[in-house]
Amino acid sequence: MLDDVDLTCEAGEIHALVGENGAGKSTLAGIAAGELSADTGEVLRDGRIGLVHQHFALIDRLCVWENVVLGHEPRRLATIDRETARTFVRQLGERYGLDVDPDALVEDLPVGIRQRVELLRELARNPSILILDEPTAALSPGEVERLFSTIARLTENGVGVLVITHKLDEVFAHAGRVTVLRRGIVVERRPIAEITREQVARAMIGGDIPSIPPHERTNGAVVVRVRELVVPGTIENLSLHIAAGEILGVAGVEGNGQSALADALAGLTPFRGSIERPAAIGIIPQDRLVEAVIPGWSLVENAMLGRERAAAKGSWRIDRAAARAQCTAIVERFDVRTTSIDAPLATLSGGNQQKLVVGRALIDNPAFVIAYNPTRGIDIGATATVHSELLAARNRGAAILLISFELDELFALSDRIVVIARGALRGEFTERRFDRDAIGRLMVNA
Amino acid sequence: MKRESVKAMLVGTLGVVAAMSLAMLASHVSPILGFNAFFYGAFGGKQQIAETLASTTALLFPALGIAIAFRAGLFNIGAEGQLLIGGLLAGWLGTRIDVPPALAIAAIFIAGALGGAMWGAIAGWLKAARGANEVISTLMLNFIAASLALYLVTGPLRAPDAAGPELSLLPHAYWLPTLLSQTRATIALPIALLAALALRYVLDRTWFGYRLRAAGEAPEAARRAGISLSRVALWAMAWSGALAGMGGAALVAGELHRFNTQLSPGYGFIAIAVALVGGLEPLAICVAALAFGALESGGLALQAAAAVPKDAIHVIEGLLVFALAARRYLGAKGVTAQ
Repeated sequence: MLDDVDLTCEAGEIHALVGENGAGKSTLAGIAAGELSADTGEVLRDGRIGLVHQHFALIDRLCVWENVVLGHEPRRLATIDRETARTFVRQLGERYGLDVDPDALVEDLPVGIRQRVELLRELARNPSILILDEPTAALSPGEVERLFSTIARLTENGVGVLVITHKLDEVFAHAGRVTVLRRGIVVERRPIAEITREQVARAMIGGDIPSIPPHERTNGAVVVRVRELVVPGTIENLSLHIAAGEILGVAGVEGNGQSALADALAGLTPFRGSIERPAAIGIIPQDRLVEAVIPGWSLVENAMLGRERAAAKGSWRIDRAAARAQCTAIVERFDVRTTSIDAPLATLSGGNQQKLVVGRALIDNPAFVIAYNPTRGIDIGATATVHSELLAARNRGAAILLISFELDELFALSDRIVVIARGALRGEFTERRFDRDAIGRLMVNA
Repeated sequence: MKRESVKAMLVGTLGVVAAMSLAMLASHVSPILGFNAFFYGAFGGKQQIAETLASTTALLFPALGIAIAFRAGLFNIGAEGQLLIGGLLAGWLGTRIDVPPALAIAAIFIAGALGGAMWGAIAGWLKAARGANEVISTLMLNFIAASLALYLVTGPLRAPDAAGPELSLLPHAYWLPTLLSQTRATIALPIALLAALALRYVLDRTWFGYRLRAAGEAPEAARRAGISLSRVALWAMAWSGALAGMGGAALVAGELHRFNTQLSPGYGFIAIAVALVGGLEPLAICVAALAFGALESGGLALQAAAAVPKDAIHVIEGLLVFALAARRYLGAKGVTAQ
C-alpha cells in the first residue's frame, strides 16, 4: 500500500494530503493515528493524534453528549455525571464554534451536524494533531465553509490539521502545504504558494488529465417532461423538462428527493403526476455495487444486464458471441482497463467498474440518460472519461438528467441547473450562469 | 462455483463418514462392519444398485427444482407439497386416459409437472403480488397439499377397488419401463438426468436463466436493470414446482403405480440437502443425488444388518444441511464485511 512514505504535520498548520482513490491516503492516516500498523518505520507524535473517518463512527441511538464522552465518561460513583458531561460538551462546542445540542439524538441529526459531533469527540481528547479523512464528501457548500472556519479556529489554538481530500478547490483555498500521494509514494510536497492546481492534478494521476470535449450549443426539442410529480413522503409537486442535447443538473444535499426523482423517471417507483420520456433510456445508478452491477460476475455478464433479452435476439438463447462483442465494444470505447472480459467485475478498480456501467448505459445512444453521481468515489482519470462521454452523449442529442452531490461536477457539465431541497425545486439557473453561493443557499433552503 | 461444489462435496463426504462412524460406535457396531453392511446395501448387487438408483431419481427431481428457486434467491422448502400435488395429478390422469403407452407416460409426467408448477406458483404469486415470505408460504403449502391429497383420496377420488386411501392402480402398460428388470430402477432416472442437462442449459444460456440468476444474485441491480422480480419469482417457483411435480409423477408411474398419500417419505425435504450439497449446480446435484440415494438404500441395509437406526442417517443428512447453511451464511457475511 505505502512505500517509504514520510509526512510531517506541524502545530497550527493545515496540511492537505491529496491523491486518487487507492493511492494510500486513508492507510497513511490510519497508521499515523495508530489504528493500523506499518511494516517498517515509525510514527513520532507529540501529543495525541485524532482521526475523523470519512464514514462516521457514531452510535446512532445515543445522544450527542453520550457519543462525545464515550470511553472517558465523567463519573460519580458508579454512574455517569450527566451534568458535567453536558456542560463539557457545550463548552467544547462554544470554544471551537461547533454548536450542537448535547441532548439531540444522533440518528435525528443531518450529516453536517453529525460531523461536528465526530469532531467534538476527537477534540474532547485534546489532540495535538487532527486528521480529517475526506471531511467535505457529504457536506453542502455552506457546511464546507463552516467546517473550514472551525479548522481555522483549531489551528489558531495550535492544533495541526491534516486534511485528506481530492477536492483541489479546498486545498488551494485553505491549506498551507500539500502532499501528493500516488500509488503509495509521495510524489510532490510543497507550500501551496509554490505550486499550481495543474501541477497537483498532474502529480496525482501521473500524467495529463484527459481533455473533455467542449460544450456545443444545441437547441433541441423538449423530450422529457415531468409535471406535478408527487412521490409520497419524498417529492411534492415537482415539474421539470429536459431538451434533447441538454444536460440538466440537479443540485441538492443528499436525501432531498433525488433518489425518488430518479426512480420515478426510471419507472421504479409509483408516483402521481405525469412523466413523458423517451422509451430508450440509459441509467447510471447511484450505488454501483448494489444497484448497477453483480460484482462476482464477469464483465460480459455484467455488460449484458438489462439487455439480456436483446442479446437473445428473439430466441430463448443468448447469443454469446454477440454479447462478448458488445462487451468488447464497451471496454474499448469507454477505456475499461481489464485483463479479460471474462474476469469477475470485482477484480476491477472502482473507476473501471464505473466506466463499464456508464458504457452499458450509453453504448446504444439512448435518447434519455439518468446519471446519478456518475463519478462518486472514482479517480480523476475515470472521472474525466465519464464526463467526456456524458458530454459526447449530450452533443449527440441525448437529454441527460445529472443528479450530483458535487457542485464542481454540475458546473462542469450542466447546461442548466435546478436546485432540489425537501422534495421540491427551489431555484433554476440557466444559460450556464451558475452562482455557487446562491445555489448553496437554496440547497439548504435558507 | 465449480470448485466450490467440488469442495462442498468433499467436505460433505468426510463429514458424513465421520458422523456415520460416530452413529455406529454409539450403536456398539464396529464401523468396519457397519460400512461393509452400508456399502453392500447401497451397491452390493443388482437389487441394491437398483434401490440406490431409485432413491437417486426420487431425490434428483425435487433437488433440481429446489436449485431453480434457490438460484433465483427464493427459499422454496415446499418441494414436498409440490411433489405430492404433482403425483396426485399424474396418478389421477393415468387412470383416466386411454392412449398408447409412450404418450400416456409423457402425459403423466406433464400432469405431474403441471400439478407441481401450480402448487409452486401459488407461493410465487403470493411473493410477487403480496410480498409474502416464500419460506412461510411454501412450508404451509406442504401441509395444505398433504391435507388436500388426503381429502381427495379418502373422498371424491377414492378408488372403488382400493383397500386404503388411494387412487386406482395405473394400467400396467403405463408403468415406467425398468432399467434393470424386476427392480424399481426405471427410465425416470435418465429423464431426470436429461432434466438436469436442460436446466444447466437454461440457467447458463438463456435470457430467462440469466434473469433468474441475476435476480437471485443481486436483486436490486436486477430490478434497476428492468428485470421484473415479481415475474422471476412467479416463474422460478412454477418451474421449481414443475420439477418437484415430475418427481411425484416418477414415483407414481415408476414405483407405487398409483397415487397414495404415502408417496414420499420426505424426499422433498432431503432434496434441499441434495441441492445444497450440489452447490445448486445441476450436474453436481446429480452426483449429490447419487450420494444421498446411496445413503438412503445403504442406511436401510445398515438398519437391517447392524441395528443402526435409519433415523441416524437422517440426522446425519440434517447435520450436513445445517453445516452447509452455516458455511453459506458465514461466507456471505464475510463478503459483506470486506
